[in-house]
Amino acid sequence: MNLLPLLFYIVAGVAYGLHFTRRSPRAGRMATASLAGAVLIHTFVIGMQTMELGRLPFVGAPAIISAFVWLLTVAYLYTEVSTDERAMGVFIVPLLVVLQAASALGDRVIEPAAVLDSPLLAVHVMSVLFAYAGFALACVVGITYVLLFRELKAKQLGFFAARLPSLQVLDAMNGRAVGIGWLFLTAGLAVGAAWLFQLPPDTLDTPMSLFDPKILVVLLSWFVYSFELYARRAIGWNGKRAAWLSALGFSIVLLNLVPVGYFLTESHNF
Amino acid sequence: MDLLLLGVSHHTAPVDLRERVDFSKRGVAEALRELAACPAPPEAVVLTTCNRAEIYVACENVDTTRGDLGRFMSRFHGIPESELTPHLYTRTGADVARHLFRVAAGLDSLIVGEPQIFGQVKEAFATASSERRTGSLLNKLFMSSFAVGKKVRADTGLGEGAVSVSYAAISLARKIFGNLKDRRVLVVGAGDMAELTAVHLQSQQVAQIVVSNRTLTRAEALARKVEGSAVSWSAVDDELLHADIVVTATGAQTPLISATSISRVMRARRNRPLFIVDIGLPRDVDPAAGELEQVFLYNIDDLRAMISENLVRRQEQTVHAEAMIGAEVDEFVVWQRSRGSIPTLVALRRRFEAVRESELERLAPKLNGLSPDARARLDEVTRLLVQKLLLTPTERLKTTADEETAAQYVEALTQLFSLSEPHPADNPDRTDDVDGAGSSDTTQASMSKTPVTS
Repeated sequence: MNLLPLLFYIVAGVAYGLHFTRRSPRAGRMATASLAGAVLIHTFVIGMQTMELGRLPFVGAPAIISAFVWLLTVAYLYTEVSTDERAMGVFIVPLLVVLQAASALGDRVIEPAAVLDSPLLAVHVMSVLFAYAGFALACVVGITYVLLFRELKAKQLGFFAARLPSLQVLDAMNGRAVGIGWLFLTAGLAVGAAWLFQLPPDTLDTPMSLFDPKILVVLLSWFVYSFELYARRAIGWNGKRAAWLSALGFSIVLLNLVPVGYFLTESHNF
Repeated sequence: MDLLLLGVSHHTAPVDLRERVDFSKRGVAEALRELAACPAPPEAVVLTTCNRAEIYVACENVDTTRGDLGRFMSRFHGIPESELTPHLYTRTGADVARHLFRVAAGLDSLIVGEPQIFGQVKEAFATASSERRTGSLLNKLFMSSFAVGKKVRADTGLGEGAVSVSYAAISLARKIFGNLKDRRVLVVGAGDMAELTAVHLQSQQVAQIVVSNRTLTRAEALARKVEGSAVSWSAVDDELLHADIVVTATGAQTPLISATSISRVMRARRNRPLFIVDIGLPRDVDPAAGELEQVFLYNIDDLRAMISENLVRRQEQTVHAEAMIGAEVDEFVVWQRSRGSIPTLVALRRRFEAVRESELERLAPKLNGLSPDARARLDEVTRLLVQKLLLTPTERLKTTADEETAAQYVEALTQLFSLSEPHPADNPDRTDDVDGAGSSDTTQASMSKTPVTS
């Protein structure tokens, strides 16, 4: 079922590519329309799965990745519409395509265990996924910052200078996306911990452990983003340094989402 | 009605003459009013910029109007005809459209692709419109020029990239900071280049401009000009702490600002970006400062290199732009020619409509039994029938690019339908049966085959 949104994400990716290279406003409008179409189809698919299960289908790595793709698309479309800036689409949409493809490969609706049917757990999952969407945006914005920064430093203004917004705008977007992401990640982790502590003993087949790769890696990403926020405010690590930290942080998030989520985690393997 | 253009531009006249033929001195509206008072062309637009003064007209007799316009320009500006005429150029017909499209796209400008001309063409047309000096031909010409100007700029890179040192500095500042409204500028030096750049930055509505110069009075004079403030020479280091953009243009023989002092300032600024435009020769800022992470240091050679690249890029785009303009001129010519066939088309439509109405009138007694609804449907169907019959010939005639073929079509229609002679059906008061009963029956028979549903 996740193949249908994937198809639309691919179409949107091609449209954003055309818009970026040709800089035609018409191609830009088509790109936005196709991505909006993709997110609508994706919403419909998630809605159908919710009706089938009787709860949000956020159990198992494929479903989690699919939900992340959906949230990232919504967050990106909001950013695009509110800033009237489409240049980032060409970097974001390929990521959506790859992740949605990974989700579609393992596409199956998992019947959740009764213990997982909790509003606290839903808040935990949604908050963490929303944080990841913010980090993904920050990473892409950071990469575009570095590309433009290099052109400006080399005094060779060309491809990216003609297409991207200013360094200051990109840096501000990066800071904001990381800030929002960090807040949601912190809240998500706190709610997850609260859910765990209110469970009766021996409820879970595999007890939660700080040494579970998934928990370990998510805490690592939390430290990276916390340091980025601190460094930006306290020691002036903005611009390029903040951009690299965002890229590092999101690499850890991706590591957690795909290989760790699929193969390594034990306590989060629902 | 034909198009005529008479003008003076940087291609044909030196700057002192261009200054004297500037219509804006006495006002374009006044020029249009005076033009209307002389043996006036029915439609006129006056375009005036620092590099051109042009009058676009739509007139019946191009040769007579050309002389009238030459005399008008000479009289209006108080320049003897003998002095002005050698610098005037004229264009007629499709060449007027080509010229205006090139002007609106920025292809005819001193600096190819400069953006101001598009707004100036729009303003010229707006003034002429408000003075009621434009008609259908000039309306169409100028509207097409706006569309072409927009399309050329959107589809080619003709207007992209700065082509002057000050604009290059501003476009770089925009690429670093985005909006310059909240930015603080420090200008070191008070010479011509410093002033030019400061004035351009002021036009970007920067938050504050601070000027520093060895001679404080000169700094104060420039500060007054750009509505900024002046500081002493010794305060430059302090000002570096607060500035976002620094422009240096002094005649100092050794660098005034060292990399070490900028490095120190950057720590205090917590790495906030600093854009330095060093247009002094020799350079005022130690080039090593450009190696610092958030310092963007551009000297005069860097800016000139950017400008030459932009000019080359613009030049490359002109071929594409000229091709686009050629296509638009062809389209305009087809439209203009189709205007020649409009009287024939109107006559043809009137003839068909008159026949339709007269036939319905003749059949009126036989249609008395029909309900008002059915009669309305019948009226509608016959009207649609006429429209459909005339659709293809109308389109064909309007889109014929070849003038000779269009003339042959017009002649054929005029002959075949006797459009030059009055037709009995044209007379709304006609009551007699011109075509005889047979004709009436035929009409009735053919109409009875038309399915009429209510």
